[in-house]
Amino acid sequence: MEYILTAENITKDFTNHRALDDVSIAVPRGKVYGLLGPNGAGKTTLIRIINHITAPDSGIVTFDGHQLCADDVMNIGYLPEERGLYKKMKVGEQALFFARLKGLDRKQAEAALKQWFERLEISEWWNKKVEELSKGMAQKVQFIVTVLHKPKLLIFDEPFSGFDPINAGILKREILKLRDEGATVIFSTHNMASVEELCDEISLINRSHNILSGSVREIRERFSSNRYEIGFVGAPDALATTGFDVELGSINNDGFATATVTLPSADAVRPFLAAANQAVDINSFRRILPSMDDIFISAVQASNQSSQLES
Amino acid sequence: MKSGLSIIIAREYLERVKRKSFIISTLLVPLLMIALMFAPALIMLFSESESKVVAVLDDSGVVAPRLHSNDEIRFVVVGDENIDQARANDGYDAILVVESAAVEKPQESVTLYSHGSLTMVTDQYISSQVSDAIEDVRLKAYNIENLDKILREVEVDLSMPVIDIDKAEDTATSSVLSYILALVMDMMLYMFILIYGQMVMTSIIEEKTNRVLELVVSSVKPQWLMLGKITGVGLVAITQILIWAGIVGICSVFTMPMFAAMPEAASEPAIAGAIAQLTDVGFMVSLVVYMLLFFIGGYLFYSAIFAAIGSAVDNIQDASQLTSIATMPVIIGIVASMAVINNPTSSMAFWLSIIPFTSPMTMMSRLPFGVPVWETVLSLVVLYISFILLLWVCAKIYRVGIFMYGKKPTLIEIIRWARYK
Repeated sequence: MEYILTAENITKDFTNHRALDDVSIAVPRGKVYGLLGPNGAGKTTLIRIINHITAPDSGIVTFDGHQLCADDVMNIGYLPEERGLYKKMKVGEQALFFARLKGLDRKQAEAALKQWFERLEISEWWNKKVEELSKGMAQKVQFIVTVLHKPKLLIFDEPFSGFDPINAGILKREILKLRDEGATVIFSTHNMASVEELCDEISLINRSHNILSGSVREIRERFSSNRYEIGFVGAPDALATTGFDVELGSINNDGFATATVTLPSADAVRPFLAAANQAVDINSFRRILPSMDDIFISAVQASNQSSQLES
Repeated sequence: MKSGLSIIIAREYLERVKRKSFIISTLLVPLLMIALMFAPALIMLFSESESKVVAVLDDSGVVAPRLHSNDEIRFVVVGDENIDQARANDGYDAILVVESAAVEKPQESVTLYSHGSLTMVTDQYISSQVSDAIEDVRLKAYNIENLDKILREVEVDLSMPVIDIDKAEDTATSSVLSYILALVMDMMLYMFILIYGQMVMTSIIEEKTNRVLELVVSSVKPQWLMLGKITGVGLVAITQILIWAGIVGICSVFTMPMFAAMPEAASEPAIAGAIAQLTDVGFMVSLVVYMLLFFIGGYLFYSAIFAAIGSAVDNIQDASQLTSIATMPVIIGIVASMAVINNPTSSMAFWLSIIPFTSPMTMMSRLPFGVPVWETVLSLVVLYISFILLLWVCAKIYRVGIFMYGKKPTLIEIIRWARYK
């Protein structure tokens, strides 16, 4: 797989704590990459290093095949978590200012901005002052400013906070569209539902360490503890006689029932199904994948416990 | 990256120059100054009729004839009224009672009664008139021949031209003009360092609280943002100075010929010296250039400090303690330069004008009196080099400070930030 960005063995110290300790990530080109972790884990520091805002104490960042340098920020679009705009400036003027900082000339910037303003249906705000906008409106402007210069790498830190569901949906759609057009997206959030929906790969940072990396699908498989859901028709107690760890779920009036079964290993699927087939009529059988929420919590807890044991 | 700096400067500059408050203050201040200059004349013009009437009850008979009325005070000798009658008369603003022993014992025999308190000027004028009168009487008592002539010949009216020896041609530098120039420029510098330096600071704090900062520094290096801000705000200050200078220039084009046309004014040595100095083009040009360089240097030096402070705190309240530390040397410089005005060539003056913390203020007050070129250049070089060093340190602090929220940092912590990678 080709990586647009890799960070190897990044360490960053501040006066009283180590923000990042030997963290490595690799972001595949053209994918949505989730950067997850509890508050204060070091995500923002890592993002700032990628944006060339701060320098790591040790470690190497490569971007697009070469070591990250100052000019690379022209190919990166970054929407910070804590974001604001100049209150006294007009929306259009301000968007132009940011666009020109990213290296677009005035004409290019104006044309591209007009297009984006129409696309997000905010053209009539051009001459409004920022202080007249609501928070959600300002966020749209910030989003446009982030993506306007068609960067190869987009970094969104909690992009959906402050958006209503409709606008959050629009934003999600736009992010996926940008990915389909070839951009790579790094996506930092606490909202695990949107991770399942958007991300191809993730890294989970906890207490300055990268504790979990991989594709979302593979991680969910890995964390599934061989739990299956079975739908059947028959006597509810009949499954208990199979000798497996079965937990009964709902039973409908018309005799349809579901149950959850935890198997010792994937190899036990066939024997279980054979036994269950004897006892009841099977309607459905599927593996239960853990939600990213569950994975997040269990991974963080496990890492906290092991670090406590160490110390 | 370079173009990023110019975009930042343009934004900082235009944002401020377009503000109503800037336009108003830029135009209003000179108008206010002109108004202040003309106010006394106007007040005098309209208050002429308000002259005070002082009734004089003179028992000695020698004082009253020697009192001279002026525009504001009119002496009226009353012989036929006693004190009580005069007191009852509303036409008098004050009553001067001179007893017969006035010439011998003036302390005990001259009294002034008034309705309400008199202004100090009036009071002084009356007492000087009375003492002049008594002196005159006493002198006359010696019966010296040609006394008036002798007195006229003895009288000295001195205001000497001062020639600067260090200069090739003996041009007269007017010490009065130099003094005023030094004072005005010092005050201007003080004002501009505080106003514009703190403008840099508050705008950084604003960007921090607005959280717009991280969006900007993701495209521009924090150091460039800081430098752009300092430059942009500095250009605003220079714009304001140029507009003011233009207004003053236009005004003086109209008023200077009036001064020159007044023969009695031109014959006055102080004014003649001032005109000579003002019309000495070479001296004035070098003076203006040097002053501008110190002005800019002083602003840059202190605004770098203010920028570092602004980056370190979250709100203006937290900044006050740190700004008071930063403004201390400015105030010391101003106070010291007041002393330097009186002695521009002392060794204290020399060292204060080498140390970059005080050199802009000190040199402002020394330059109009003439400073050796090597000293000026040395002072400028030290000032600008230390600005660059300071900028480097402050930029490091700034880069760390802008991402620090919450706890107010101590001075030691701030200095430690400068060592972060």
